[in-house]
Amino acid sequence: MKKKNKVAAVTNWPLTILLIAGCITVVFPLYMAIVIAFKKPSEMTNDIAGALSLPKSWSLENFAEAMRVTDFWHSLGYSVLITVATVVLAILIHSLAGYAIGRSMAKNKFYKISYLYIVSGMFVPFAILMMPLVKQTAQMGIDNWFGVILCYLVFYMPMNVMLYSGYLKNIPIALEEAAYVDGATTWTTYWKVIFPIMKPMHATVAVLTALGTWNDVMTPLVIMSGKGANTLPLAQLTFQTQFGTNYNLAFASYLLALLPILVFYLICQKQIINGVVNGAVK
Amino acid sequence: MKKRVIATALVAAMLIGTVFSASGCSSEPNDGKTHITMLQYKPEAVKAFEKMEEEFNATHDDIVLNIESPNDAMTVLKTRFIKEDAPDIIGIGGDVNFSNFVDAEMLMDISDFEGLSLIKQAYKDIDKNLEFVPTEGVYAVPYVANAAGVLYNREMFKKNKWEIPTTWDEFMDLCETIKKSGQQPLYFGFKDVWTCLAPWNALACDLAPADVCRQVNKGETKFIDEYGEVAEKMLELLEYAQDDPFAYNYNDACTAFANGESAMYTIGSYAVPQIQSVNPDMDLDSFVMPGCDNADDNILNSGVDLQFCVTTDCQNKEAAYEVLSFLLEDSTIQTYLDDQNAVPCKDKEFKLSPALDGMLDYINEGKMTDYQDHYYPSEMAVDAQIQTFLIDGSVEKFLNKFDTDWLRYNRDIIRKVQEYEAGGNK
Amino acid sequence: MKKKLSRNQTFLLITIPVLALFFCFNTLPLIKGLMYSFTNFRGFGSYEWVGMRNYADLFTDARVGKSYLFTFKFALLATVVTNVIALLLALGLNGKIRAKSTLRGVYFIPRILGGLVVGYIFGYIFTYILPAITGKGSMLSNTGTAWIAIVIVAAWQSIAQTTLIYISGLQTVPEDVYEAGAIDGATGWLSFKNLTFPLIIPFFSINMVLSMKDFLMVFDQIMAMTKGGPAQSTESISFLIYNNGMGGGQFGFQSANAVIFFIVIVAISVFQLNFTGKKEEQL
Repeated sequence: MKKKNKVAAVTNWPLTILLIAGCITVVFPLYMAIVIAFKKPSEMTNDIAGALSLPKSWSLENFAEAMRVTDFWHSLGYSVLITVATVVLAILIHSLAGYAIGRSMAKNKFYKISYLYIVSGMFVPFAILMMPLVKQTAQMGIDNWFGVILCYLVFYMPMNVMLYSGYLKNIPIALEEAAYVDGATTWTTYWKVIFPIMKPMHATVAVLTALGTWNDVMTPLVIMSGKGANTLPLAQLTFQTQFGTNYNLAFASYLLALLPILVFYLICQKQIINGVVNGAVK
Repeated sequence: MKKRVIATALVAAMLIGTVFSASGCSSEPNDGKTHITMLQYKPEAVKAFEKMEEEFNATHDDIVLNIESPNDAMTVLKTRFIKEDAPDIIGIGGDVNFSNFVDAEMLMDISDFEGLSLIKQAYKDIDKNLEFVPTEGVYAVPYVANAAGVLYNREMFKKNKWEIPTTWDEFMDLCETIKKSGQQPLYFGFKDVWTCLAPWNALACDLAPADVCRQVNKGETKFIDEYGEVAEKMLELLEYAQDDPFAYNYNDACTAFANGESAMYTIGSYAVPQIQSVNPDMDLDSFVMPGCDNADDNILNSGVDLQFCVTTDCQNKEAAYEVLSFLLEDSTIQTYLDDQNAVPCKDKEFKLSPALDGMLDYINEGKMTDYQDHYYPSEMAVDAQIQTFLIDGSVEKFLNKFDTDWLRYNRDIIRKVQEYEAGGNK
Repeated sequence: MKKKLSRNQTFLLITIPVLALFFCFNTLPLIKGLMYSFTNFRGFGSYEWVGMRNYADLFTDARVGKSYLFTFKFALLATVVTNVIALLLALGLNGKIRAKSTLRGVYFIPRILGGLVVGYIFGYIFTYILPAITGKGSMLSNTGTAWIAIVIVAAWQSIAQTTLIYISGLQTVPEDVYEAGAIDGATGWLSFKNLTFPLIIPFFSINMVLSMKDFLMVFDQIMAMTKGGPAQSTESISFLIYNNGMGGGQFGFQSANAVIFFIVIVAISVFQLNFTGKKEEQL
């Protein structure tokens, strides 16, 4: 352990500087977005100087107005509910499925086929599923947030099962066998040994799944079809009408919606790194 | 023990959905009143509709009106049809979606609705023409319209003493004069393909028969014989565009026009709010696209922007009519006009936006025809084909493709039309 | 519980409900969609059965053919660009650098920005800023270059996700592998090629499949940047399926398109997985 820490202490400065320089590709567009979010529509011009100049005043009016128009706290609550429920269920169910399928598919045809069957689901264009799903969820009486969560669980299953079973390839089966010798069942071994080891992957899955659901417009739009409360992306459609777009309010609103998910990402990525240390210790 | 429990829990999780059905199902409130739901497709007018809803419910004891203005309403509406949960009244545009809804028998015949007599005949005709196969019934109450042609910067025109053109030659001369003076005559946002349709429609109103699509469906003519001049004149307009008009989108063009970078903009009245959001003090007006050589032949391009239809699922026709009558009251229309920039379809004088001054005479005379693209199937992407043509410049290639594509995309409709025609001749 | 469940029984008890759920919300609607592909359904209202007409049309439709060409050209370039940059970025962000968290956070932002923001900002960059710098016209108004502009934007957005997966893959590479390698004198490129890369091959293949699939299904960036223009040169397959199927009245026809498209992507992915699978075994 000691030795490792020493190695980590040596900073690769050229790399750091290169990576910081590369940030310009993100920071510049972000700068534009922030500047526009603070401007008034009348400050929008078609020349470069106008687009890059700072707003006349740094008033939070656009943000307040955007929050009012989108019924921010309410929509945010709804988005959080759907995203959190999807992420938690995805980590529990998809990791189990990834484990069961990933561990067995090398030897057992049934699991190999199950794996390919689920992964192939990733390639079904949503457009073809949409109308039948709308009808099906309505008939089942789940054309509400619950149905949306179920749909997400299925949509992200292929990617997540693929990620989990890919991760398991690098985790030696010997770890489980040790537990077996102590008389544990597969089920308890999974929760006690495998599930914690997969922590970096849980964090990855959480981020990818959360992002997909957080930004998604189509699924809640067609499944709930205008009934019930809006999620944030649904509410944000307000800024774009057929013949006009209020970019200033829209950008303010997008920046507000970006913050929670960015914080979530930062928390998760700590887990990705911490996971290594835990894994190494064990 | 534990495993069994959790394994069953997994299965149960899937079944919970069915349990939810009981609570998730929206039960009709049982208060002895008639409930009418209406879904309208203009989210920008939500404030006006909220006011209308409030006003209606305050004055009606036995009917409860609920107006929904969801975002992306056309998608929502289609999913409602799929769910067999259609609203009683829908507020949509007079476009090809309406034609499809009529053709799919989703709308109720409301020819016995008395309020129809209050509507300008021109708009009723426009709606009638939208039916693929002519029917006996009436399926929509036109509510408000928009108009398209050329918007111009009144201040620039005054300062330079430019005259409003009334013929094509005058229009081209004006463009030439503006160009020579070192200013920009026209600004296009052709990166957004739909904006290609604005001048196209306006020119087609002047130069092609209003029912050209129906004539083609009957097999009486071809587009290459009817649209040639329209296409030629589109190319002439392009001469006076800014550099690389395909690089700029609708929003860029609105901003440029609002900031006085061009004298004119061939677009509809619907663009006025976007332009004024950039420059609230702009003095702008409009004129009818002068596509003809004779000023009297010009026709205004105007179509139904919002109309109300009753769906076949509606259980309470009487109550729905009551709502429609309320919507057609002068005060209700005024509520809408105060909020939105529009031309009412009711045959009565209302105060209109000054941006429509130049089109007022045509509106009052009813000298107008519908947007041609309301007859085009959206999947044929005529807007993108026009953009392709404007980049490529070959009229013949474009219109030949138009003709072949038309037959391909409208195959089922053409078959119906021809069956209808054959039936009618028997 | 009298008897312990065997390992296999446990796996079955997990897999079967999951498969059932998946069947219910993926396969079942897919079968219904398949049904619609034999009709002239518009997405609502009445429809007629038209047999194989939609499929016959599909193979003669020049626009569909063009969209396949564009989509594949686009997906190939974008997949390569994304994976090369993402892998380098992941190695960099996993290296011994300062401000690791912040940098990782910054590089992740593109993935979070919505289509409207990306469309507006890159539209602005391509329309106003780049022409001013290069002195040439906008890339987006030229049929020869518009698709490259979309590659740039699509890669910009998806590098974030691809990098994340590579980073989490790099976590499975134990430190002692490097230490052992360093003793043998393997550093830099050699260490990557011989030590790191073989261990993250599962993630390489996942990323290849995921990004290929995402790019083949490209839709958001097209809507945000060009809406299929200029001159219909950037109409992707998904663009046609959505716009003409949902927005237009071609639901049945586009369902047929989606079915064929589905088969094509599955075939490509199976090929990809087999290919990288073989690589994994070799190493």
